[in-house]
Amino acid sequence: MSALFALKGVTKKYGPNTVLNDVSFEIGKGEVVGLLGDNGAGKSTLVKIMSGVVQADQGDFTWDDAPVDKMNRDVTERLGVETIFQDSALVPFMTITRNIFMGREITNRLGFMKMKEMDSITAEVLDSVVTIEGIKSPKQLVASLSGGQAQAVAIARAVHFKRSLLILDEPTSALAVRATEALLNYLTHLKSEGVSSVLVTHNLHHAYQVCDRHIVMNHGRKILDVRREDTTVEELTAAVVEGAEGIRRYREGRF
Amino acid sequence: MSDRNTTGVDPVLEAPLATEALTTQRRMSDAQTSASFGARLRHDLQFIRGRGALEISIVLALLLTGYIIASLISPTGFAFLNPNNLSGVISQAVPVLAILGLAAGILMIAGEFDLSLGANITLSAIVFIKTAESVNLWVAILAGILCGVIVALVNGAIVVYTRIPSFIATLGMSFFWMGAGIFINGTTPATLTTSRDETMVFLFAQDFGFFRSQLIWLIIIGVLAWLFLHRHRRGNHLFAVGGNPAAAEAISINPKRVKLMAFAIFGGLVGFASILIAVRTSSMQPGGSATEDFTLFAIAAAVVGGTSLWGGRGTVLGIIVGAALIELIRNGLLLAKAPGFYITLFVGVTIVIAAIFNKLMEGKAR
Ligand SMILES: Nc1ncnc2c1ncn2[C@@H]1O[C@H](COP(=O)(O)OP(=O)(O)OP(=O)(O)O)[C@@H](O)[C@H]1O
Ligand SMILES: [Mg+2]
Repeated sequence: MSALFALKGVTKKYGPNTVLNDVSFEIGKGEVVGLLGDNGAGKSTLVKIMSGVVQADQGDFTWDDAPVDKMNRDVTERLGVETIFQDSALVPFMTITRNIFMGREITNRLGFMKMKEMDSITAEVLDSVVTIEGIKSPKQLVASLSGGQAQAVAIARAVHFKRSLLILDEPTSALAVRATEALLNYLTHLKSEGVSSVLVTHNLHHAYQVCDRHIVMNHGRKILDVRREDTTVEELTAAVVEGAEGIRRYREGRF
Repeated sequence: MSDRNTTGVDPVLEAPLATEALTTQRRMSDAQTSASFGARLRHDLQFIRGRGALEISIVLALLLTGYIIASLISPTGFAFLNPNNLSGVISQAVPVLAILGLAAGILMIAGEFDLSLGANITLSAIVFIKTAESVNLWVAILAGILCGVIVALVNGAIVVYTRIPSFIATLGMSFFWMGAGIFINGTTPATLTTSRDETMVFLFAQDFGFFRSQLIWLIIIGVLAWLFLHRHRRGNHLFAVGGNPAAAEAISINPKRVKLMAFAIFGGLVGFASILIAVRTSSMQPGGSATEDFTLFAIAAAVVGGTSLWGGRGTVLGIIVGAALIELIRNGLLLAKAPGFYITLFVGVTIVIAAIFNKLMEGKAR
């Protein structure tokens, strides 16, 4: 599998804290990569860097084997990266439709929005991608939605605009079983379209179920990078909970 | 099924769940098309209500009814229906405040304030008057509006690039712009004399009996503002940036650029309003306090009309109704011969009540 997106030596400091320390990995074309790790391990920071909303202090990026000089949101937008952020990036007092099409409105040549068209696409996407209950109209304000419903809107937006890479930062944290299942199924399906995805989750069973490869972060460092065939849920659990030490103990115990 | 695919949604997504027969579910897209007229009306009403424009319109209607009854009972004691009074309020005072309210409101939606609005009026009006006297009307119109835009953009640049709260930055700058007025005109009033000809009056202050030129301008500007704010993508970005700057940025909307645009529109509208004010009063006193009240009144009109003090919410209709309400009450107090400070008193209280009300509405929508 050739690499779609490669990160090399990514380092990020917030004040004195080194949040990411020399992190390198690749995302293959059509690959589903699980990004795992304890709270504060640096997953969301890595997600923000990959989607261009936060800039790394150091690190090189290549896309389709061509170097990317400067990572920012305009560049990632052009490359076709879509992200569902953990702190869901929605505007509460705008309607669902306006949130989904924010910054990418369907307009006529003068820049006036085609509201009907956007409303009907919104209804379609919400109906089909995240089959979630209780959203009555695309004209509802996001502020009036439940946590899971709002998350569904964020997912619908990313799914609708994704082209090459879909990054999901704990997308299922507020979803009920049925909607979660639909989303995980969707990720598997994306593979066949050649779209890559990165899934951040604390549910290791979910990760193990859908991801082709797992990356485990610990205090800003990458401590594990394995294909699904070469690992087990138990090893992932040990790595997430106990770090590098856990991996060593698990492997000693097994071999 | 087949028409579903035309929107680019993956059909597979609908299939995988065995937990429930999804096909029997009432789907949102179907429900939308089949909604009865009554249901749609109820939805639309709720829509307006959620945005705070319904209550304020009811208050306005009630007040208006009260005034009409009072004026019918006592035509001389409370001369509201006197044609002079009507055209003065409805098509002179209300349009000017409504245009200023729209200016302040658009900026507030983007999450900023400009407290140098009054000083901007003084300076832009002086620039308009001086240019009209020395060049001609058409250049003067351009100069007046441009002055408003430049003043606002300087304020905007300070706010956006230094990240000083706009309250402080624009309050400070307001003294600077007041001084600038004195700098270019001295301390004597700038006056329209020879240049205040028929064309100028016709354009900006003509009394056509029941309405005046200003009302036409409000209608034009109101429609343009509505199209821009509620239907144009740039207007949409304004709400996004005011409502959640981080979210807007994550979708590659540049908050700084959007805010600067809001300041520029604000300035253009203030510049235009100062032309209306200058032509009506024929003169402008540099460094004077005559225009200072407009700052608070414009923000009051926006807030009373449902604009959020925290950004991200507001409607064109609400702001116009808010301006109308304030001017009606001001007129009522005047007709009832209440002392002038009552008006200031009232506007102060109104802002606070309206802000509390808006806050409650926001809570309800959550
Ligand atoms: N904007 C910021 N300023 C300062 N420190 C930050 C900032 N964002 C994150 N951090 C710190 O960086 C570290 C990693 O945070 P990050 O959000 O990436 O963790 P995470 O792996 O996503 O955790 P979780 O599973 O809880 O979401 C944390 O210690 C956090 O406090
Ligand atoms: Mg996180």
